[in-house]
Amino acid sequence: MSTGTLIAIIGAALAAILAGVGSAYGVRLTGQAAAGVTAEKPDLFGKLLVIEALPGTQGIYGFLVAVIVMVRIGILGGGVANLTMEQGWSFFGACMPIAIVGLISATFQAQTAVSAILMTAKEPGSSAKGITMAALVETYAILALLVSILLVFGIQV
Amino acid sequence: MIVPMKKVTLYALKREKEALLLSLQRCGELMVISTEDAQPQEGFAQSAEELARAQEALGFVYRSVGKRSMFTPRPEVEKQALLFVDPELEKLRDEVAELERKLSDNAARESALSAEAAAVAPWVELDVPVEELKNTRKVAVFTGSIAANLLPALTALAEERDSAVQLLGEGAEGRVLVLYAPKGRAEELLEAAKAVGYVPLMPPRVVGLPRARAEQLAAELDAVRKEREALTEAMKKLAEKRDELEILCDQRATEHERQSTPAMLTDYTFCLKGWTQADRTEVVQKAVESVTDAFVLSFEDPAEDETPPTVTKNSKLVAPFESITDMFSRPDPREVDPNPVMAPWYWLIFGMMMGDAGYGLLMALAFGLFLKIAKPRGDFRKLVKVLLFSSITTAFWGVMFGSYFGAEWFPPVLFVPLNEPVSTLILCMVIGALHIFSGIILSMVNCLRAGDWQAAIFDNLSWIILLTGIGFMFLEPLSQVGTYLAIFGAAVIVLTGGRANRGIKKITGGLLSLYGVTGQLSDILSYSRILALVLSSGVVAMVFNLLAGMVQGSVLGYIASVLIYVIGHVFNLAMGLLSAYVHASRLQYIEFFGKFYTGNGRPFVPMSVKAAHVDLK
Repeated sequence: MSTGTLIAIIGAALAAILAGVGSAYGVRLTGQAAAGVTAEKPDLFGKLLVIEALPGTQGIYGFLVAVIVMVRIGILGGGVANLTMEQGWSFFGACMPIAIVGLISATFQAQTAVSAILMTAKEPGSSAKGITMAALVETYAILALLVSILLVFGIQV
Repeated sequence: MIVPMKKVTLYALKREKEALLLSLQRCGELMVISTEDAQPQEGFAQSAEELARAQEALGFVYRSVGKRSMFTPRPEVEKQALLFVDPELEKLRDEVAELERKLSDNAARESALSAEAAAVAPWVELDVPVEELKNTRKVAVFTGSIAANLLPALTALAEERDSAVQLLGEGAEGRVLVLYAPKGRAEELLEAAKAVGYVPLMPPRVVGLPRARAEQLAAELDAVRKEREALTEAMKKLAEKRDELEILCDQRATEHERQSTPAMLTDYTFCLKGWTQADRTEVVQKAVESVTDAFVLSFEDPAEDETPPTVTKNSKLVAPFESITDMFSRPDPREVDPNPVMAPWYWLIFGMMMGDAGYGLLMALAFGLFLKIAKPRGDFRKLVKVLLFSSITTAFWGVMFGSYFGAEWFPPVLFVPLNEPVSTLILCMVIGALHIFSGIILSMVNCLRAGDWQAAIFDNLSWIILLTGIGFMFLEPLSQVGTYLAIFGAAVIVLTGGRANRGIKKITGGLLSLYGVTGQLSDILSYSRILALVLSSGVVAMVFNLLAGMVQGSVLGYIASVLIYVIGHVFNLAMGLLSAYVHASRLQYIEFFGKFYTGNGRPFVPMSVKAAHVDLK
């Protein structure tokens, strides 16, 4: 295996790691808030679960990019390609948007989602508004995901 | 469409008020509103209390036997049966309340008895009555306890001072014991004993042998526990009547609504004000006529400064999507109902985000069965229907994208998003642009209804022209036309955007309006999330297929493979549903509603029979 391939693998791993860590941290925050509210108002469990899961998507996006990179460099299905240094660094760079934005946006989205959970606790009818507010943060993770995907597909192997 | 409303004013005799309220509640078409000098009925406080008592009894039954599971059918009851409180059910409630009181008494007694039993237990080995445990002429007697590991030290001390230690049972703070010391050396022994960890302890307040008291306590505890068993058994029997208690709660809630209806009173008459749907005035009229002929009833159109509650009425296919709009905000009664336009877009975009024929099939099965078996109600029912309807578009886009449980069983009709992300991105943008155009058109409709044709053309149509032009510029054969369209649209915006201003601000206002193009373009770019979601659910499904394929090879492998396949796809479907629900809603709320929607409507909540726990026949 060439050094280029190694660098691409590190990039894919970072996409899964950083976005995953962000989501895990985020869902921890929202989970704590949701558990606290559920203790007092068990009926809200269904609504809260939806908000709680919102910061979890970044982890999936990071995972998604990691898998696409694996497919592109042939780790999944087929022989592993021997990439040049340029190709390796290109894959590494392509992974960075979702890795970094995923990490940060998941934690920020979690803070918004916690507020949305508290809002739902006070006013159960407003859960959709809370979801929308938290979903606005996710926009930037989605844009980063798109950039990562388009870059990964754009690299010539 | 938004149903036009009529304002209702009813004057009638005070002595017929009860009967009229009952009749109006039965017809379920009048929403009474509160006015400044209106007050609730005389029995308001009492009915609130009765409702609370019924709910408390029901809550107690729920705590002891649990709520009804989602899949057991609710009892069916005639509407008439909920209008009046059934005295038999009141008796049942009293029985439950009595039982609850007895159970809590029982628990209190049990804890008192067991506390005493725990205090007496270490002393049972004492072979003299407790009251005789006192100093004699020559011997001083002390009672106390010491930690077991310090005991040898104490025994040694006692022996040195010609004293005896009688060991009893193990207490909460160590071994309980009695010290017998010659009176002359008693003080000295006590000091020394305290130094090694001896703690004085009063014997229990018992007359006679502790053993006798302990036996007595055990018998009493036994009786208390037997009683509790009997009570719990009785509770279980009563709990079988959970349905009846639920009916009582609904009856009380129905009664309380009548009692809390605000009305203005004079000595002999009363007045109700409220809203009803314009096509239901006859129902209200009949409800009143059936009770009395001494009344004045009028229906008026809402005045300029009055905002009636909002009722939307749409076809069966659109109605479930109203719940999505209502979660954001109900439409203002004066604006155009967004639901008929919003519903097909939500339907289409939701399906595109899921984009898998297999998942579409699963959704149809799961939500179809859920509707049939669990019979959910209210907004939840609407949501389940939205998901059921969306299973069709999910399957449709799955066929378009050639995705069947993440695998390409058949070649795609359009293309595979993973292979052609750029084509998919363009498709998403086109759908986004059309969605936004429909929002702008609704805004034009609102402007025209308000009689403002200038706003309709200059502030709305111009944007459609400009955005269409920008779109055409990327299409080779149309790029020339596109450029002209874009320039024309932009010119209209710059020239008219500042028309409300004066002087130089007419021009700066126009330029500022054109700056809105960044907002419009970022709205359209926002639809790229459709691509992201299609890819994420597709790739995750693909990975599970891959994993399931990898472990095959042996019998155990095939079992693991099936497990991975099933669990993986169910997980991916659930996450996909969550994302599609959230993001399809967001595209409606922010990108689409942002173009035209005011919202802020109030719900229409007519007086009606409150069937919260039962189904009406």
